[in-house]
Amino acid sequence: MIHFDRFTLENGLRVLFHQDTTTPLAVVNVLYDVGARDESEDQTGFAHLFEHLMFGGSVNIPEFDTPLQQAGGENNAFTSNDVTNYYDVLPVENIETALWLESDRMLSLAFTPKSLEVQRQVVIEEFKQRYLNQPYGNVWLELRPLAYQKHPYKWATIGKKIEHIEDATMEDVKAFFRKHYNPQNAILCIAGNLELETVKSLTKKWFGSIPAGEKYERNLPKEPEQVEFREKTIESKVPTDAFYYAFKMVDRKHDDFYTADALSDALGRDKSSRLYVALKKEQKLASEINAYIMGSHDEGLLVISGKLNDGVSFDALDSALWKVLEKLCASPMEAAELDKIMVKIRTAKAFQEQGLLNRAMSLAMNELLGDANDVNLENEKYKQITPEDMHRVANNIFQKQRCSVLRIKSAQK
Amino acid sequence: MDRTQAPALSAITEVNFVSPITFVINKHVNLYHMPYVPNDTARFDLYFDAGKIRNQKSLSSFVNGLLFSGTKDKTSVEINADINRLGGFLDTGLSAENAVISMYCLKEHLPELFDILFDAITNVSFREDEVADFLSDRKQKLHISREKVSYLAQSNFQKELFASDEKYATILEDEHFSSVTQEDLKAFHENYILNGLERVVVIGNIPAAEVQKIASKAGEIAATRRPEFATSLQNRIGSKHVEKEGALQSAIRVGRTLFNKNHPDFLDFFVLNTILGDYFGSRLMSNIREDKGYTYGIGSMIAELNNTGYFLIATEVGKDVREKALQEIRNELDRLCNELVSEQELDLVRNYMRGQLLKSADGPYAMTDLFLSASLQGKDLEFYNDALLAIHEITPERIQELANKYLRWDQMTIVTAG
Repeated sequence: MIHFDRFTLENGLRVLFHQDTTTPLAVVNVLYDVGARDESEDQTGFAHLFEHLMFGGSVNIPEFDTPLQQAGGENNAFTSNDVTNYYDVLPVENIETALWLESDRMLSLAFTPKSLEVQRQVVIEEFKQRYLNQPYGNVWLELRPLAYQKHPYKWATIGKKIEHIEDATMEDVKAFFRKHYNPQNAILCIAGNLELETVKSLTKKWFGSIPAGEKYERNLPKEPEQVEFREKTIESKVPTDAFYYAFKMVDRKHDDFYTADALSDALGRDKSSRLYVALKKEQKLASEINAYIMGSHDEGLLVISGKLNDGVSFDALDSALWKVLEKLCASPMEAAELDKIMVKIRTAKAFQEQGLLNRAMSLAMNELLGDANDVNLENEKYKQITPEDMHRVANNIFQKQRCSVLRIKSAQK
Repeated sequence: MDRTQAPALSAITEVNFVSPITFVINKHVNLYHMPYVPNDTARFDLYFDAGKIRNQKSLSSFVNGLLFSGTKDKTSVEINADINRLGGFLDTGLSAENAVISMYCLKEHLPELFDILFDAITNVSFREDEVADFLSDRKQKLHISREKVSYLAQSNFQKELFASDEKYATILEDEHFSSVTQEDLKAFHENYILNGLERVVVIGNIPAAEVQKIASKAGEIAATRRPEFATSLQNRIGSKHVEKEGALQSAIRVGRTLFNKNHPDFLDFFVLNTILGDYFGSRLMSNIREDKGYTYGIGSMIAELNNTGYFLIATEVGKDVREKALQEIRNELDRLCNELVSEQELDLVRNYMRGQLLKSADGPYAMTDLFLSASLQGKDLEFYNDALLAIHEITPERIQELANKYLRWDQMTIVTAG
């Protein structure tokens, strides 16, 4: 159970406060309701590039990092297809430094040309380091446009191609800031050994005077229902053949989201899961195999991925994999199997909520999705899943016409 | 309100360090229990004297990977099913001097998971089919790693860095896969697992009587000797490049052998290392990422071994700017040797380091790791109070002195790949 208080400033900024009296640290987490899905198709990778620019100085403060480090703190951020999240962790006595910094960059950035030029280069190196210069690093650049045809999930957070990063202009940067970075599109979560009244007065002091800005109304192209099997094979200079099966699944707010998550666990979370036992241990077709969900806010993907053993064909793997899925769809599983999945989920969640930063992030993310308190209902939602639910949702998901397959074939053989 | 003015700061002067409770297993081996966990999570770790240095044909790596491959009574799938039924998350690790097995779970499941794990690793039978499957997977992973410039740089760097001691310089090679026999695996297991347990760690709000049972059982495999580790290592000075066709980036490793917490210069060097490359505002990050844009990230670190240690700078940069990036790394080392650090920069680093120490001691898991990091080298938590004092007292002159002593370019091993 994560206790929290919630209030909204006059400019529309939603504030969450989680009290923890056991730690000397505080967390300031600012979640902006903007991700790669909000980019236009000819300017992909922009939300993430923008995240880098948020550290290039704000209207009244030349550098973001220096004062925070001076306060004994550190910070980071991440961008996903759905959101952009910034966080600061520092000694609680110095929390005001983080509020000062975060509020000033919500007010306005410095927009220096030097920052844009340097961060453009940094992001290009990041593109190379994580996607282009790694074996299998290009998988998501290929799989996304196969699985999505209309919805902006069809490009990766890093962007479709380096050229989009190279072409970004200062005008684009400013427009993006105006559109997405204001109190109405943000959720602030503060965690630490503080009192609610202190949090109220500090947030009002630093964030209260920021103009509300325009509320961004998201209106994304809807992905048409997938009604045909899609496949693509690419040759790549990798030592081993790899496969990626992406099945459409429900969005983050749908009741079946949790069941889909549990299904991916049944198939491939650990070394006693169905795919691992059948395809790796028994039939020796795959050297590794995993199943997981992407967890995206809009219609998402359940992914089964792995690598082939030497000498095994994609076809042999394919027919064995579908047999495992057919079995899962044929009849409800034993209660014992479901129990095993649930205790792992419960354990993972207990560890996740151990950290102050994770608690702050979870609260903010759940608030964005509708209600911060949903984080406290998750265990109950998982617990209510029955073998019949698993059976029903499996039959929804594991249809060939809802599946996109990417194969990376080793060009070295 | 004047937004250009930073809020007032409080300096951190005190950190609350908490020791785990020690259960003596034998003359050389202890169990450390951290019971102050305010939730249901728990973890235990078993550390073995079964690190990579114990075998020059990678038996350490193979045995480590096969510990859960089955006993005469249970297959690997059955063992994993038992662990998963109790919600256990298993993790294994291997470094030069240690092998470690960790289990993350809810506290109510910890005693039973310990028994399952103990049975699996002590009775492992190295079944031939499991061994063959494992070796083939491991080989595939090695070949994938060799496609990464970071792996090529790191593995070649290791050979150069530890050139003075073959045991430390050994890396996994293709021929190790064909030479291994079941007898080799069993002999290594007998020596370094069944008689190689060095330390047990239990974190979780668990009754002392349960912990005592674990300590007693662990005693069956506790090492009855004090393990021997290298006391000094010497890097081979100079440059080496590993070409990789088609690479877009080059990985860079620059470093040298150094020392661990037991050396009188350690704490001051710790401050010097932070200034150079151990935080976002460091010299290396400010110059090579934030000014030049050559890389996504660059950092430096001190890596500690039981009796010695080494220093390392690591980054990946655009292939076309590799030489420029190396020159800038060199410039930053030279600058520390030739110029005094400003009081302003030093003050920032002091505050940052105090905040990081506070974070390193926050919560039972972080606190236990902090304790272990000191106790492994024969220190206690007083070491961290000494660290706070050293951070407070260090001067720009002392930093320059240490840079000249330890960070000269002509002392470094430089490896690039890509």
